[in-house]
Amino acid sequence: MKTKHRFNYLQFWSLLFFAIPILGFVANPKLDQIVKFIYVDIPRIWTDEAIKDWELPNSNPEFSAQPVSEEFYYNLPERVIYKTYPVYHPDHEPEGYWEWLNQQEAEIVLDESKLLTEEDYIKAGELLFDYPIDTLGAVINIQHVRNRDFYTATDMPITPEGIMPFAQWVVAGKGKVYLGNLSCAMCHTRVMDDGSLLKGAQGNWPGDKAFAFAMESDDASEKAVQGVTNALFGSPWVEGDPHGKLLARGKEAIIEAYKAVPEGAFGRQGTSILFPPQAPNLIGVKDRKYLDHGGLGQHRNIEDMMRYIAMNQALDFLNFYGDYNPIGLTIERLNSGKPIFFPGTHDRHSDAQLYALAKYVYSLTPPENPNISSAISERGKIIFAEQGCVTCHTPPLFTNNKLTPADGFEVPEEHYDKYDIFDISVGTDHGYTMKTRRGTGYYKIPSLLGLWYRGPFLHDASLAKLEDLFDAARLEDDYVPTGFKPHDVKTKAVKGHEFGMDLNKEDKKALIAYLMTL
Amino acid sequence: MIFRKNDLEITFGQGIDSSYVGVTRKSFYHYFPSGIYKNHTKNNVIPRMKVLLWFCLLICPICLSAQTFKPENPIQFKIKNAGITVDGTISDWEVAVEFDPKKLTQSSILGSANPAGIQTGIKLRDKHLQGREYFYIQKFPLISLKSKSFRSNGKNSFIGIFELQIRDVMKEVEIPFTLAQTGKNRKFKGEFVIDRLDYGLGEKSLVLSDEVRVVVEF
Repeated sequence: MKTKHRFNYLQFWSLLFFAIPILGFVANPKLDQIVKFIYVDIPRIWTDEAIKDWELPNSNPEFSAQPVSEEFYYNLPERVIYKTYPVYHPDHEPEGYWEWLNQQEAEIVLDESKLLTEEDYIKAGELLFDYPIDTLGAVINIQHVRNRDFYTATDMPITPEGIMPFAQWVVAGKGKVYLGNLSCAMCHTRVMDDGSLLKGAQGNWPGDKAFAFAMESDDASEKAVQGVTNALFGSPWVEGDPHGKLLARGKEAIIEAYKAVPEGAFGRQGTSILFPPQAPNLIGVKDRKYLDHGGLGQHRNIEDMMRYIAMNQALDFLNFYGDYNPIGLTIERLNSGKPIFFPGTHDRHSDAQLYALAKYVYSLTPPENPNISSAISERGKIIFAEQGCVTCHTPPLFTNNKLTPADGFEVPEEHYDKYDIFDISVGTDHGYTMKTRRGTGYYKIPSLLGLWYRGPFLHDASLAKLEDLFDAARLEDDYVPTGFKPHDVKTKAVKGHEFGMDLNKEDKKALIAYLMTL
Repeated sequence: MIFRKNDLEITFGQGIDSSYVGVTRKSFYHYFPSGIYKNHTKNNVIPRMKVLLWFCLLICPICLSAQTFKPENPIQFKIKNAGITVDGTISDWEVAVEFDPKKLTQSSILGSANPAGIQTGIKLRDKHLQGREYFYIQKFPLISLKSKSFRSNGKNSFIGIFELQIRDVMKEVEIPFTLAQTGKNRKFKGEFVIDRLDYGLGEKSLVLSDEVRVVVEF
């Protein structure tokens, strides 16, 4: 009998012994998160199977992108994330800052093994968001950002502290200070009117003006200017080959084309400086079903977002479009095993880094909107419904998350089952989606959330203000676009999306007041 | 049954692109109840001709009396979108009426409407409604309404059971309607509600109501 009791006591104490840590986990929310995240399998995103149908075909499907293979991708070395330092306008750089930077040792700041909780991943994601993937001078270089003329020529936004937030100094060792380009933050950071930074917003980096300054001040040869422009935008199969024609016009015309792209738009690789895309707003991107203005990348889950980040950060330079590769590779050269020294293509983010980046982007929230609801905006809300805006810009996301075909694109029958198609064109300029490597023939119906901190507007950033959208004068050929205007014209009609044009002045004002509250 | 099939042919002509297409384009004898002709071959043409003759004799007076006309008033519909009632019309439509309040079992009302003429006040929205997500007019150019039975619902008031076909979906709907008669002029007015999702008109929406109120007057 005694023995039996003792046994029961033993059972009780041993159960208690094991229960205490479990109770501890349950009681501590941090530990709870750790338990949850320890078992998160970081997805392997670049599999041949997953990549095959992830992107939409090109508007000319014969030239749809053929990305690198799973084997090629995972043979690329993973990126090492060093500590970065802010870049100051020369007039604001603290005394001795440059010399101090050159005395710093390299410091690796991301250790994936320490990422345990969702918060850890989001924090790491922010670090990666700001981290430049290029130190070869893909857009600008040391001599540019340390030159006062660079800031005046580009009308570069800077913070009240004099920081130019679109590039960073990367210290890879003592005396090894490089200017880092091509961070996510470069295109998706906005210096607000009050000088604060809004990460993830439609950026206001005047990237193409900056690149034009770089090429001019470096006295780049005509061949070099043509070569890099071709790598960025070449798409010789598209109707009329507008980029080929631009190259043929020589260095001066090409540089003028770069200068014509306003801040808030950016001729990213695969797009165009002739049809430049508006820099996308990433705040709220978690709810979007397609990525890119043409809806190139499907966004069905976090893996798709990770794939998009990997591809978008320059890996698409390695794509083949038919037999065409933007940087002149052949299939044999690509797969030869020799490294390819082109910005952003010789290494890759690890899957854990991409996961962290995606988690960070998903975590972005809008700042508090200063435009509060009023009697006028409430009237605008009714007008918004009466005018049928809700059909495409459906609350609460203010997009129906669909793709609308551009003029001249016939929706293939099989697309209706595969994608979310709103089969009416609103008649906006079709250049971006019909004449670029990233063009799908569609435009993504954009969300109207956050309009108050965004601009310029429309997919090609051709209108500076919302008021311009409702100005019927923009439909005329003698209109001077208030945003992007091609370098070789004085006037140009900004056609399409002809809604709200017939409203009277007061109703337009009310509608805009409502839109600014979103 | 036979009458209605035939009348449909008169009303819709060859243009209808729905399950009726199969009916109207089939040989005439396919309209008869199954079994009558199931053993017929090319060798028994004469009995078939007799039946056809009887059929024509029976049906012709009715055909002649059921006149197809285009009403002045458009079909009206209302739907709530983001809290606002959107009013729409379809003005291109026609109806064939053979209605006698004293002979409800022999009465019929047949209508067809062309959704290409849909109007909601916003042209692009109209185009969208004509498209694949809604009426898909390229594939389904007509909406049809065909009475099955009537019953009285008080003085000058009736309830009709109709087959409503939109796109490739046919469903029964109950439509209460009134008949106002002044001399020879007769005015029918009916109002009913449908669930647009039942007919494949668009998809579930957070802002667009499923219910559509339809008013028909002729």
